[in-house]
Amino acid sequence: MGDLPPRRSVKRWLVTTNHKDVGILYLATAIAFLLIGGLLALLFRLHLLEPGGTGLLTGDEYNQYVTSHGLLMVFWFLSPFAFGFANYFVPLQIGAKDLAFPRLNAMSYWFYLLSGVLAVSAFFLGGSFAGGWTLYAPLNVPTYTPAMEATTGSNATVFGLLMFVISVTMGTVNFMTTIHRHRAEGMGLWNMPLFTWSILLTVWMMLFAFAALLAALLLLGADRVFLTQYFATDQGSGLLWAHLFWFFGHPEVYIVFFPALGIMFEAFQTFCGRRLVGRKWVIIAMVLVAVQSFLVWMHHMFLTTINLEIKTLTMATTIGISLPFDLMVFALIYTMVKGRVRFTTPFLYSLGALVLFILGGITGVFLGAIVLDYEFRGTYWVVAHFHYVMVSGVTALIGGLYYWWPKMTGRMYSEFLGKLSFAVYFIGFNLVYFPMFLAWETPRRVFHYSGDMTLWHQLSTVGAFVLGLSVLMVIATLAHSLRYGAIAPDNPWEYSRTAEWAISSPPPLDNWDGRASYASGSLEFVPDTPATDGGAVADGGTATAEAAHAGQEERHPDHASIWPFVIGVGTFVFFLGLSGLTPIVVELIQPYYPADGPVITVAGEISYLYPAITVLGIAILGVSLFKMGVEDFYVPEPRVAERWPFGGDLDDTKMGVWVFLASDVVVFGAAIGAYVFLRLHEGWASFDPIPFAAWPGLLNTYILLTSSFTVIMALVMAERGNKRGLLGFLGATMALGLAFMGVKAFEYGVKFSQGEFWFTGLEYTLYFVTTGLHALHVIIGLLIAAFMIYRIVSIDAYLEDERPVEFFGLYWHFVDIVWVFLFPIFYLM
Amino acid sequence: MQTRVDVFEDIFMIFLVLGTLVGVIVVAYTLYNAYKYRDTGEPAADDEDVPTLGELPTGGQGGRKLFLSFALSAVVVISLVAYAYVLLLYVETGPEGENPGEDAIEVDVEGWAFDWDFHYEDGVETTGTMYVPAGETVWINVTSDDVWHSFGISDQRVKADAIPGEYDQTWFIAEEPGEYEDAIECFELCGSGHSGMTSDLVVLEPEEYEEWFEEERAALEEAEDEEEAEEEDDEDEGGEY
Repeated sequence: MGDLPPRRSVKRWLVTTNHKDVGILYLATAIAFLLIGGLLALLFRLHLLEPGGTGLLTGDEYNQYVTSHGLLMVFWFLSPFAFGFANYFVPLQIGAKDLAFPRLNAMSYWFYLLSGVLAVSAFFLGGSFAGGWTLYAPLNVPTYTPAMEATTGSNATVFGLLMFVISVTMGTVNFMTTIHRHRAEGMGLWNMPLFTWSILLTVWMMLFAFAALLAALLLLGADRVFLTQYFATDQGSGLLWAHLFWFFGHPEVYIVFFPALGIMFEAFQTFCGRRLVGRKWVIIAMVLVAVQSFLVWMHHMFLTTINLEIKTLTMATTIGISLPFDLMVFALIYTMVKGRVRFTTPFLYSLGALVLFILGGITGVFLGAIVLDYEFRGTYWVVAHFHYVMVSGVTALIGGLYYWWPKMTGRMYSEFLGKLSFAVYFIGFNLVYFPMFLAWETPRRVFHYSGDMTLWHQLSTVGAFVLGLSVLMVIATLAHSLRYGAIAPDNPWEYSRTAEWAISSPPPLDNWDGRASYASGSLEFVPDTPATDGGAVADGGTATAEAAHAGQEERHPDHASIWPFVIGVGTFVFFLGLSGLTPIVVELIQPYYPADGPVITVAGEISYLYPAITVLGIAILGVSLFKMGVEDFYVPEPRVAERWPFGGDLDDTKMGVWVFLASDVVVFGAAIGAYVFLRLHEGWASFDPIPFAAWPGLLNTYILLTSSFTVIMALVMAERGNKRGLLGFLGATMALGLAFMGVKAFEYGVKFSQGEFWFTGLEYTLYFVTTGLHALHVIIGLLIAAFMIYRIVSIDAYLEDERPVEFFGLYWHFVDIVWVFLFPIFYLM
Repeated sequence: MQTRVDVFEDIFMIFLVLGTLVGVIVVAYTLYNAYKYRDTGEPAADDEDVPTLGELPTGGQGGRKLFLSFALSAVVVISLVAYAYVLLLYVETGPEGENPGEDAIEVDVEGWAFDWDFHYEDGVETTGTMYVPAGETVWINVTSDDVWHSFGISDQRVKADAIPGEYDQTWFIAEEPGEYEDAIECFELCGSGHSGMTSDLVVLEPEEYEEWFEEERAALEEAEDEEEAEEEDDEDEGGEY
């Protein structure tokens, strides 16, 4: 709450929740991570100047740099850079005043920044993770990492990634809700600009793909801190990780590339002065890719022991997914025909991206043929191919930076400097990556290559420096523009079409007066009529009394809150503490550790600083989450908007809750899938139920089902405005939740007293972690319920607006339903 | 009988020629269009339908050409992969038309950080050097003792993932006898020594290979006999007390 300080003040950037500010923060931070990732690449390319290495790096440093380069570029640069544009321009393009949940948006950003800080700080905590950006098992567990003397650091890498995934999940919920529910009157889904389309499909893919990665990282985190055994065994661990990782990893390719494609579509249309050829088919093609992206992951595993039938199927889906891209490429090419092509800097970058993508695509077809993939697997062919594809995406994104720069800063840039940067960039790009095709027999991630490849590797290293120089030139060009650039008009580009060009450069805080409307067939800004439906809710599920007054007096939306930042800091501190716990856990469990378990040789020294840091993180989180929960933060929901197919009696928060639950389904699906996979691998009948008896599970099933009933009664009481009834039933729900946890604790206690723990064997790991993940959900539900009871007692909350009770109920039902699946799996089978 | 090298060279050449051709044509056509339709500064004619600011997006004309190009590219890609699939079936079943035949040479390969062990028949083992007979099909069964490795011999165009608990089977035929230093490499990041995790490949004439194998086996038996004798001695000594 409160006013937003001016842009010159540091405080502004800590408290802002405005989508344009957050967009700029994303862009600036992503460029910082690009520079770090690039610096690492330059260092290991220097090491690669001679076969066997120049001696600049040790083997372990080399592995760390290669790994962090991949992680930083894929996670902390590519996607966030695209989401900087998405933050800034998607609301403008669809005619929204902001994202649906502005504080959640700021929180996504702070989680993003601080997760990156955690990942980079790994270098100073004994060394970062060194097992490759794909984190293959079992090299990714403590059993093997001590050899690298990097336990705390590589834990920090893993938890940094986990925190990043949480950031992505929050962003996904936000964009999904915004694009589906905040479109201006008259803008149906079909009418959305292509950049917005690309972001919509990206977040749909993110919703499911990142949830799978979240599950994988939760299991890996448990392995690393608590010494569970998901990825430590020779009983399917390696394949399990590969499946989980690539189920995320292949959609991730399109997740990072789609926004770039969206920018290419926008830039081609503007600078060719023509509308996109086959627009409808392009959209259909993109939808097909988004759906099919979840069916191709096993083409990363052709050389593992999967059978021929599955390989054949995956080959077919892989070839199938390449065809829609052919259509998109040709659509771009034909859009130039009969156009008036202007070779501005953004167009040059977009055209360059198209050419590079064509080369990347063709070399990808090679990999789709399984026989060739057998030979290319793990070689520089793969490295060259995916850099051509991914960095082609970067090329388009830099084009986007030039394209939207005048809008974001109000300044024009120098076309001469811009074109010069492109020339150097394009030469540098091809000089780094093309020789890699020629040196393709070199195994990935080695510096011992055969002598006849030396020339290619040296060219590549030179190219890396040229490419690095061009990135600095881009930054210099833009810095020059900030200082000396001419004032940008509202619309510097002839033939641009989308709404961001219809308002001033840069746009005002609230984007425009009134609301945007396409009801007449083209963009108009019309007065915002009083609410006839909808109304307003505060974001975050804690609607307050203003909702009722919204219609009476106009209140300005809030744009500032410090709590997203503080919550980010709390989470960062928490994960930093967790990173250093492994040596202590090892010490504690040593007496009970099975003799035939995976060998633990943790080299890390015990430091009691880390548990203290962990507790501090939890404390910061507790206070800041509470403060944000009670904060009075006003976000109006548009009174008139296109919402198909998510209109009806949904509101923003409810849709957000549903989207979040959908991703949580995937998290549990992956955890249960891991159980099924490992048990099948071991032989289904070889597992016995771990709990000492089935009755505690049955009892807990009854307890949870009863609590589902009480939470419904709580909603009924809230609807009736019956405070005592509401308190009573919410209290009963809490009591049942606590009873569930009590039974659970008893059950665990019996096992522990028999000397059986989560590290006793693989089936124990599966039981304790999966039911533990569920218990964690119950605990979070209990905390929310406690908060709600506090609000009812202190300010009579939810009696006028009962929706938050409903949202809590949705979550609670979901947690109950998960238990209904876990009970038979772990107690009866 | 096609070796893995033959298979690879056939298919790679065809992909390379067609890929280059398609790449050159498409990129040239792209650049040609960009140049041909460059803006000449002429204002738009009155009847020309140019995009305007704030319009609801619609598509441009030219859909038929789009589909024609798309269909053409689809035919090229699908026929290439179909052809490759036929060769895949050959690679999967092996040159004899069946997974390891009766008297095929089988070697179990085990990766460990950071070298390779080779287990031949009758308990013969080597570390760091693999011995194979020239011109014969060698079936390998690859696994790992610790983390995920990937066994590959680039010259022979053979590769198999080495995953703990999994056994990945494939084959190759080495034609030229000789000693190939560091020909065997690890293709999956496996730890600090990954970069230098290489082994040598020694290809012997079939008779020489037989000789080598018999020598190794004899040495092994001798060593076993000695060991047994020692154990017996130990027992005798133990009996005195």
